Amino acid sequence: MSRDARERILSRVRDANRDREPVSHPGPLPEAAEPPGPFTQAADAEVDGQTGVADPVDAFENRLRAAGGEVVRLADKAAVRAWLKEFASEFESVSVCKGVPQGLQPELAAAAPSEASLGVSLAVGAAAQTGSLLLSSREGRQAQLLPPVHLVWVRAQDVHTTLGEALQACREDLPATLALHSGPSKSADIGQILVTGVHGPGRIIAAILGADA
Amino acid sequence: MRVSLFVTCLGDRFFANAAADAVRLLRSLDVEVDFPKDQTCCGQPAWNAGDVPEALRMATHTAEVFADADYVVLPSGSCTAMLRCTYPRLLEAPAVAERSYELAEFIVDVLEVTELGRGLEGRRLAYHHGCHALRELGLETQPVRLLESAGAGVVPWEMDQECCGFGGLFSVKNPEVSVAMADRKLDTLPDVETVVSADGGCLLQLDGRARHRGLPIRFKSLASVLWEARRGGA
Amino acid sequence: MEVHSGDYRARARRIIEETPEVREAVTAATRTFVEHRLEAFADLDEDALSHWAERVKSHALTHLADYLEEAEARLVERGAHVHWAESASDVHRILERIVRDNGVKKVVKAKSMLSEEVGLNPFLESCGVEVLETDLGEYIIQLFGEPPSHIVGPSIHRSLDDIRAIFHERLGTPRDASPERLAAAARELLRNAFLTAEMGISGGNFLVAETGSIALIENEGNIRLSTSVPRIHVALVGIEKVLPKWDDLSIFLQVTAKSATGQPVGCFVSIIQGPGGSAAGEPDGPEELHVVLVDNGRSRLLADPEVWEALRCVRCGACLNICPVYRQTGGHAYGYVYSGPIGAILAPGLVGLEETLPLPFASTHCGACKDVCPVRIPIPDLLHVWRKRAVERGLTSGVERSVLGLWASVVTRPALFGLAEKVAGLIPDQVVRHLPMLREWSAGRELPRATGRTFRELWDEGIE
Ligand code: SF4
Repeated sequence: MSRDARERILSRVRDANRDREPVSHPGPLPEAAEPPGPFTQAADAEVDGQTGVADPVDAFENRLRAAGGEVVRLADKAAVRAWLKEFASEFESVSVCKGVPQGLQPELAAAAPSEASLGVSLAVGAAAQTGSLLLSSREGRQAQLLPPVHLVWVRAQDVHTTLGEALQACREDLPATLALHSGPSKSADIGQILVTGVHGPGRIIAAILGADA
Repeated sequence: MRVSLFVTCLGDRFFANAAADAVRLLRSLDVEVDFPKDQTCCGQPAWNAGDVPEALRMATHTAEVFADADYVVLPSGSCTAMLRCTYPRLLEAPAVAERSYELAEFIVDVLEVTELGRGLEGRRLAYHHGCHALRELGLETQPVRLLESAGAGVVPWEMDQECCGFGGLFSVKNPEVSVAMADRKLDTLPDVETVVSADGGCLLQLDGRARHRGLPIRFKSLASVLWEARRGGA
Repeated sequence: MEVHSGDYRARARRIIEETPEVREAVTAATRTFVEHRLEAFADLDEDALSHWAERVKSHALTHLADYLEEAEARLVERGAHVHWAESASDVHRILERIVRDNGVKKVVKAKSMLSEEVGLNPFLESCGVEVLETDLGEYIIQLFGEPPSHIVGPSIHRSLDDIRAIFHERLGTPRDASPERLAAAARELLRNAFLTAEMGISGGNFLVAETGSIALIENEGNIRLSTSVPRIHVALVGIEKVLPKWDDLSIFLQVTAKSATGQPVGCFVSIIQGPGGSAAGEPDGPEELHVVLVDNGRSRLLADPEVWEALRCVRCGACLNICPVYRQTGGHAYGYVYSGPIGAILAPGLVGLEETLPLPFASTHCGACKDVCPVRIPIPDLLHVWRKRAVERGLTSGVERSVLGLWASVVTRPALFGLAEKVAGLIPDQVVRHLPMLREWSAGRELPRATGRTFRELWDEGIE
């Protein structure tokens, strides 16, 4: 029966287009029309005046902050250790995604994602244009979603300028789900008043690892 | 220069004095005005209602009436939009389309006159943009420019580009929504003595609603106000 | 879902007269959306973007069968089950099967207009399944037992006070609970549902043919949770949602988000290629992915040479937000799942013109929607096509036809026109007020002031 439905739908669709001039694909969007990230415009008051910021990492930071995310930049291993220790002290327990290296795991009691107060993951990339962190389901999704706070490590060299470039870099080896996280969970469904932390994490912290980290 | 006036059906019946002011204004700018007596309606009400054959009949008739006109000038934005933007979809040879202008558009874009006089010195006005004039003709700056150069203060109005709720048949098919839309306009109106518009339908709607509510606002055709601008300052 | 579009006027009147707060809430919310959209596009070459997006969608639609097959093949390669549904009842049958085979008792739903279109919730409930909407806005209207009143913000017609009251009654929150408190109560209840439901149901914003990817945009994280935590994920995807290439996706995600809420992209985007969990050698995620490709009138609309372009719609809601008619009532007046300008085009196309007749006329033809559509759907023209067909098929009211017909026969005969105008001027207002149409006019508006003479008369007398 379902086979028949398939054939019927496809043949109706083919018939529908039979007498229609096919429209060609326009190819990639001309670069000049790409939506700018905050690297060519001020995204909010905080980055006001910062027009012409060329570095994608700066731009990524501006964009994610404008969406309510937090950003730290850590130049080397010592900085990572010191910051992580300090940061971890706010939490009781942690759920860590699969691919996060030992040195990037906070020293906290491990807990199930639904119980942990902190989730930690490692992004497969990031996009400055939209302030997005790209997360793979191969790492395990629950730690990215269930704890109220989400710490995402990302390497500075994985931060791309446009979202298109960041997605292109993942194209050859896609996980079951590739997710973009571009800010804390939020909603304005209650009387148009903005509330954060509705279902997903209410805090997202991108920790950007410099070349020596 | 010679123009043919297309007074439009609403203009003929409800804005006769404004149309006469348009004639006076054009003449004062050394334009010769004629009035082809066979003119009727541009066909927009029928088109709007989905009655394409009727709209076609009226468009054909109008195109014939104005076949020899150098310019067709209308004191109505939405009828001008009908001629310029819809006739090409109805008629095979819509020559009349390219020669049709709304009054203020004609004055600014064709005559290249941007100052009519100083007859509006000290007046506080609001300008309502008719939807078709604004979005189909792109008539946005010309009327305001003429009003301001005559000394009027055109007071900013956040809803000046929002639809008044007339919509021809819509106003009687969905009167409750139509009236709510007019109220939204009236409720956001800044403190002005007069609201000006190039569209008769919008003026009937807003004026009809304002009077029903007992609001002391006056509504005037752009043509009349522009004539005041000219006459007062001449 | 049941369609009540025939009552547009009565429903609109009820909303305006009996619940004036709805008009206020909808106007405020849509104006906020419009402002955010304007800011988002301020520095963009909107024209270049929309022309490009239009072309990509038109290309996808004119090659739709091939792309659907390609998407299906990619999904099947990754272990997904692909189902084809011609109608709402096909969708029901497919879902019933999945529910039965897996002993599903509880379903978490991420916002899907298509599931509303096919009336999925009542059907699943009739199968004994508990269905929980998880988008906060959808959850709110589920508590109220209402359909969504906006494509993007289903609960925009409800004020904070309304929501406080229903949460108090149903979840026991304090009567004066803050929005944060209310959201927390919903979060707690729904968190438990995510963890215990056997199945999650989502829609799909895009279906990328090249990679078989289903892309979903959201802000709350409920879509990510619904498509990640339960053992089974079912995605309902309209067949028109196809994008040809992976490289098309990044711009469509951005353009849709910017048009909808002014955001660069939603806070969360899920791009789903197949089932997760052990099926994919991954630590978690759904073991089963079912993709239901739904026609439900779309192929018929595609075959329509005059209206097919409506299928480019990405459901951003920008045309609703800008629409001054929509703003007076919100979506419930339209009596159909899709409301506002795009709803008035889709309803006759997907349901039938006769059933939804007033909708193409529920517009002043102001044209504001045309300027904001990110895929350049000529909405006013398509509305006009339906009006034209209504007239051709004799579906418009007799009174309207006769008044217009009279008008037409008079105005094309100049002599008669002049005479008729004179006669019209002689009829006293008291009589006029009772004539059809003029009666409707004068209920809330004064009749035009008599000017005394027509322009024709002034001209004949000579204008000084
Ligand atoms: S018709 Fe255009 S503006 Fe309206 S919802 Fe669809 S894509 Fe958005």
